[in-house]
Amino acid sequence: MPWYLYLALKQLFPTGRRFPFFTFISVMGVALGVALLVVVTSVMGGFGYEIRRMIVDTEGEIQIKSSGFITDSAEVLKKAKAVPGVVAATPYAAGAVMIEYHGKPAYPGMRGLDLATVEEVVQLSKYVRLGSLDDLDDDSVMLSSQLARSIGASLGSKIEVYSPLMIERFKSDEIFMPREVRVVGIVEIGHQQLDSSTVYCTIRLAQDLYGLGSSVHGINVRVREGQNEDAVAARLNTALPYGIRAFSWMDSFSDFLWVLQLEKNMIFFLLLFIVIVAGFSVASSLLISVVRKTREIGLLGALGGKSRQVAACFCFQGLIIGICGTALGLGLGFVALTFRNDFVLLVTKLTQRDEVLQRFYQFSQLPSHTAVNDIVLIVVSSVFISMLAGLLPAWRAARLKPVEALRSE
Amino acid sequence: MSEPVLTASALRKTYLSGDRRIEVLSCVDMTVLAGESVSIRGESGSGKSTLLNLLAALDAPDSGEVFWDGKPSIGTEVRGTYLGMVFQSFYLIPELDALQNVLMARRMVGRVGSAEKARAKELLAKVGLVERAHHLPSQLSGGERQRVAVARALMNSPQLILADEPTGNLDEKTGDAVIELLLGLCAETKTALILVTHNAAHAAKTNRKTLLHEGKLHDVV
Repeated sequence: MPWYLYLALKQLFPTGRRFPFFTFISVMGVALGVALLVVVTSVMGGFGYEIRRMIVDTEGEIQIKSSGFITDSAEVLKKAKAVPGVVAATPYAAGAVMIEYHGKPAYPGMRGLDLATVEEVVQLSKYVRLGSLDDLDDDSVMLSSQLARSIGASLGSKIEVYSPLMIERFKSDEIFMPREVRVVGIVEIGHQQLDSSTVYCTIRLAQDLYGLGSSVHGINVRVREGQNEDAVAARLNTALPYGIRAFSWMDSFSDFLWVLQLEKNMIFFLLLFIVIVAGFSVASSLLISVVRKTREIGLLGALGGKSRQVAACFCFQGLIIGICGTALGLGLGFVALTFRNDFVLLVTKLTQRDEVLQRFYQFSQLPSHTAVNDIVLIVVSSVFISMLAGLLPAWRAARLKPVEALRSE
Repeated sequence: MSEPVLTASALRKTYLSGDRRIEVLSCVDMTVLAGESVSIRGESGSGKSTLLNLLAALDAPDSGEVFWDGKPSIGTEVRGTYLGMVFQSFYLIPELDALQNVLMARRMVGRVGSAEKARAKELLAKVGLVERAHHLPSQLSGGERQRVAVARALMNSPQLILADEPTGNLDEKTGDAVIELLLGLCAETKTALILVTHNAAHAAKTNRKTLLHEGKLHDVV
């Protein structure tokens, strides 16, 4: 090991002292900054990841839509399935309805599913908490968990469904009767918006309620694992008839995803200042060390050390602090992420605001998704900043002439 | 006859003090032979330390030249192996124990292996500190610290040791012991020694005595 690296290590971790205060403070400064960056970027990434999971699990990676209805859904399905990268496709009908149970009304969104193909595209059965998707038929529905709770419905309850088509008939002085259906399942996706206001039914029931005939509102597409959704969507667009277009989930939510990414980048940028401040603290401590060790620096010159080697000694101290601080920060960050939900639960219990959290942040648990790219960026930034912090003291040390340094008081 | 390990010819050094130029060394010639011990005495401010810095190539003369082993001194490249230095204030690295301080001299010029560690322990044994090898400088007395500094100066088997008032911070008894040790080890290893000292008794123990007075070096008979 070169002497300047050896001395840098010894000055940070002196022989016989287990817990050098200067090193501890410097390393902790960097570590706290890194830990915060890890936690915040992971939670922000978690929001994005949860949204993706929710969209893909309930709608597939790609949606095929037209400006109105897709009348020849069988032909479109055939063309879509023939496109490379497409694994499966399922048609759907969707719209708003009014439901009523024991005088309690609600105005959820309705989603009509093609039971023969839906499981090939979306993993709805994974989210069925009570009942079974197999029990769903043209006279039954499944309710999202919060919707069922809000109207007091449970398995076996009979609810009445009103559709916009009925209102149109009412305008024409026709007598209309609501459709009575049985609740055969409770679905909980983990997203507040979907869990609070969705009715799942067969596509035939939805077509009937909306008067669609054999038309559908759209087609959900699942792409092969590892395939780029945008590329598959582009291929679909060249294969589909005029007026029908495919949108990847990223296209459909591009504005929202852009805002989410912007928020994440801004928070990363702001939190990076914690590491920069820690870097200034390291620079300040090392500068004091250079002043305090002036005569030792002179000695190193007298023993044959070159100016650049003396500079390297202080530069390495910044680098070692950066590496240790980053490693500790990563550890602290991942521990904090592991216990994030316990911490949030504790805070919400203490403040009795658990319902509020779910209402505003959409998710029942604080999500987290750590991207390798984010971690690489955090590690490189913090180590680089710490190394920069060592440069000024290193330059100062290198400028000291041994003869003057040895004479200094 | 022994070869000269150090030759200085017509060394001149001046310092600016305000707008006045003070000539510290006017024309110093000096030759030190292998294994020889030479003392330099002089009043405070007479330029003893300045001369030592010029001989060690830590500072550059205004004119004149210094030769190590017949070659011009070229600073840091060979200083670590050709010269050993002992200072008044010991200058041990506080984060390193006694053994590591001795080994540091070797570490600065090459790799440290088991042979070097054995030599450092041997040197510590010679200065009577082998049992305190793993003590930090703060756990050693002044005399012990200077003995560690002597061992460090000898670590690379230098041709010449430059000692700048090595007893300046020690009491008389400890100072005498350190000088005895330094002279004894230099004689044993045939290492030349230049000893800058105020102490006439210490100077008397060297092979050759000189006096630096008004910028010139005079032999004392």
